[in-house]
Amino acid sequence: MMNFPFDYRRILEKALSKGGDYADIYLEHTIINEISLRDSKVNNAGNHIDHGVGIRVLKGDKTGYAYSETLEYRDLENAAIVAAGIADSAFPSVTLPANVTELKVRNRYPVITEWEDISVSKKMHYLEMLDRLIFDADERVEKVLGRISDSMTEIMFINSLGEFFHDKRPMASVVASCVMNMNGTRETNSSSRSFRAGGEILTESLVREIAAECTGRTASLFGAIRPKGGEMPVVMGAGGSGILLHEAIGHAFEADFNRKNSSIFADKMGKRICMKGINIVDDGTVMHNRGAVNFDDEGVPGQKTYMVTDGILTSYLHDRISAKYYGVNPTGNGRRESFRYMPIPRMRATYMENGTCTEEDLIRDIKYGIYADNFSNGQVQIGAGDFTFYVKSGRLIENGRLTSVIKDINIIGNGPEALASIVGVANNSKLDNGTWTCGKEQYCPVCCGMPSALVSSLTVGGAEHA
Amino acid sequence: MNYKNIKDIVESALECTLRHGAENARITYSKGSQTSFSVLGTELDRLHRATSSSMFIQIFTDGKYGEFSTNQLEGKEVDSFIRRSIEITRLIEEDRDRTLPPAGLYFRDDGTRPDLKQYDAKIDTISVEEKKQLAFAPVKEISGTDKRLVYMASEYNDSEDYMFMADTQGFRGEAFQTSFSLSCECAVKGKSDARPEAWWYESSLFYDDLMKEGCGKNALKRALDRMNPKKIKSGKYCTVIEDRVASRIVSPIISAMNGASIHQKNSFLIDKIGEEVFPKNMNLIDRPFEIGTPGARYFDGEGIATSEMDIIRNGRLNTYYISPYYSRKLGMEPTVEGPSVLKFEKSSGMMNDHASENAASMIKSIGKGIFITGFNGGNCNGSTGDFSFGIEGFYFENGEIIHPIKEMNLTGNILTFWKGLKYIGNDYRRERRWHIPSLAFENAEFSGK
Repeated sequence: MMNFPFDYRRILEKALSKGGDYADIYLEHTIINEISLRDSKVNNAGNHIDHGVGIRVLKGDKTGYAYSETLEYRDLENAAIVAAGIADSAFPSVTLPANVTELKVRNRYPVITEWEDISVSKKMHYLEMLDRLIFDADERVEKVLGRISDSMTEIMFINSLGEFFHDKRPMASVVASCVMNMNGTRETNSSSRSFRAGGEILTESLVREIAAECTGRTASLFGAIRPKGGEMPVVMGAGGSGILLHEAIGHAFEADFNRKNSSIFADKMGKRICMKGINIVDDGTVMHNRGAVNFDDEGVPGQKTYMVTDGILTSYLHDRISAKYYGVNPTGNGRRESFRYMPIPRMRATYMENGTCTEEDLIRDIKYGIYADNFSNGQVQIGAGDFTFYVKSGRLIENGRLTSVIKDINIIGNGPEALASIVGVANNSKLDNGTWTCGKEQYCPVCCGMPSALVSSLTVGGAEHA
Repeated sequence: MNYKNIKDIVESALECTLRHGAENARITYSKGSQTSFSVLGTELDRLHRATSSSMFIQIFTDGKYGEFSTNQLEGKEVDSFIRRSIEITRLIEEDRDRTLPPAGLYFRDDGTRPDLKQYDAKIDTISVEEKKQLAFAPVKEISGTDKRLVYMASEYNDSEDYMFMADTQGFRGEAFQTSFSLSCECAVKGKSDARPEAWWYESSLFYDDLMKEGCGKNALKRALDRMNPKKIKSGKYCTVIEDRVASRIVSPIISAMNGASIHQKNSFLIDKIGEEVFPKNMNLIDRPFEIGTPGARYFDGEGIATSEMDIIRNGRLNTYYISPYYSRKLGMEPTVEGPSVLKFEKSSGMMNDHASENAASMIKSIGKGIFITGFNGGNCNGSTGDFSFGIEGFYFENGEIIHPIKEMNLTGNILTFWKGLKYIGNDYRRERRWHIPSLAFENAEFSGK
């Protein structure tokens, strides 16, 4: 049961002293370890500690927020007084309940081996293996960078509803990038895996998988071309293509944008937005997933939220503020980068469920288009709906067949139009477990996934003469 | 802020690194505070107050190197954190190139250098009420002025930062900075579902210099201008890139000049020093001593004295940004770790004429093309310089804006693209670290319909 390291009641009372409707306290302690390889040597290590308490007060839709990096009562009280200032009454309007209820759910990221029990020498062993595997895989390899990072974030949360939770959130990432040189032409690419898990994920098979993907992706870029630019059909390959969902529609479904009336989907609830049979989910319940949450950062249990059900927009992604505004239950999407930030609606693992056809079915009838399966970044304009994502590599589709490798092109489209232009969905849905990080106001770990899907028309960056 | 106390903490921590056996160490203590008031519609939506302190510790021992940070700054905790940091550092492999810089490269403050004017003491005197009123000013400018306005929000933000850096070779340096900003974003809606949005942002190191009017009107005008966009045919066009966003096509050049990129062979500027890889009339310079300009500084993150640098002169690449570590790795002379205040310097000839004054004059002179006012995603391949960016902006003909454009990409190679440079404007924004004006290029490859 809870054992808060300070008198949380006094702080909550102070936070509500000017008439706020609701207050919460978010105590965080994070330890991050990093170790990296350069020039075939594991020659950089780091350890970082971050610790603090965020205090939030809500008054209607409005938020007051401040934090303290110490547990000194005076500092906490100051933060509470600042946050309280979002309301302006002379008296409190909420009384704290006498009892506290500890929230419990099934742990979605149990740790078998604590990272502190994984020695530096063991991590070095795997980084050296990664380096060796990449160099051995292709004689054109000139440079390799490798990194293993692990962190443990411990959260204690309590709010003015008397709800308390304690959560331990592990996060681990293994990343490799390499540069290859072929007759003076250089290409670079990378591969990564990231999970909410303990040291048990650090295995030879994981390292082999990353090394093979990194070298394969880089080698494929030699001889790659840019397609002729313009509008054309695009087959999104299974996995990382989930970036389409994240950028094209996921952000536009985050309810803060809709509450503010700035999203192009602001009046589409309950309406058909894509073809029948398409289900799009934002899921905080996938075991060990980078986007998994036992509780979000405002005490709402993680859950699986169907944003689109059989082609109909069925739910936005809510935090407590937007849920209250829309008169629905919060969906467990109130997330934050750290105690320094207030929670806002954020995605978790966003993916599309399986369709019925095969990837070959999607490609077969395309005369000229592209197949995209390796991405680096994306962006969206919420109101106009225009989104982009950058294709690091893919293939040209000519007369129903995958032909030349393509690289370094940006794809741009309009969210609602792109969603309505998905005309085929394959039965090979998978999540991409790379180090996806969303940068909406604050950084948050997320995940995305998708079965292969055919979008009948998107605008592809390219050269005039392919 | 109690700066004396911070210096004492750092000196004590530095002594602690040596006591626990480190050969050398550098400690950077950062302390900052930030206040923001956000307005949504016509009501206060958020107030946010942040105060942070942290210590970044770099350990050099036994030819090995580690980086550590903590915001738990009590004496006992710092002591055990440093002890543990040194233990971790000793476990990894040697990298003899990781040392403190040659002391001769350090900035020495002899008291004769002018104040770079990065700090406004007025920050402590601005009342909460004044800040709140300022946050409301942009939305007040536009509230109720146009039926198509469906969303408006504005924000006032100020911050105060202090940094003290010390190392075991005797370097001591500190820096103070304030920043004030006011912004507005809004979205408008016509007959279609689209709600084109736009923003406007003003910032300054000094409160009195902050432009406090016009944010709202500028944001609304830009949003309205973006209504009913059209996609145009793919092809090669002349393009004018607005000063507000032109740094997007300069940043790949700066990244490619970075020592880490050169060493990792992830740069399209490898072995290009001395070569005329940019157009002959292009001069890019770094002026770190510009008083009252964000980014001005006397030393970099390792204490190395900054200096005025001609990065590109008459199209010739003159230098890289090489820290002492990468100078050893690459066998090159060190410079500084990265840019301070970047500027274009005009050369004589075609680029000094009236047509190159600003974006509007460039559009008039060029006649037909695409005016880029924003970038939407995209990326640049550091190894090859190949890039592809989503863009927003306007199609222009006969020197006049015809209509906004949508869903288009600008694609090319950085070196080839810059060869098409036609005009460099005079209209850079002084409140930014990089003084990049509007730029015009020929033969830019756009994809649309």
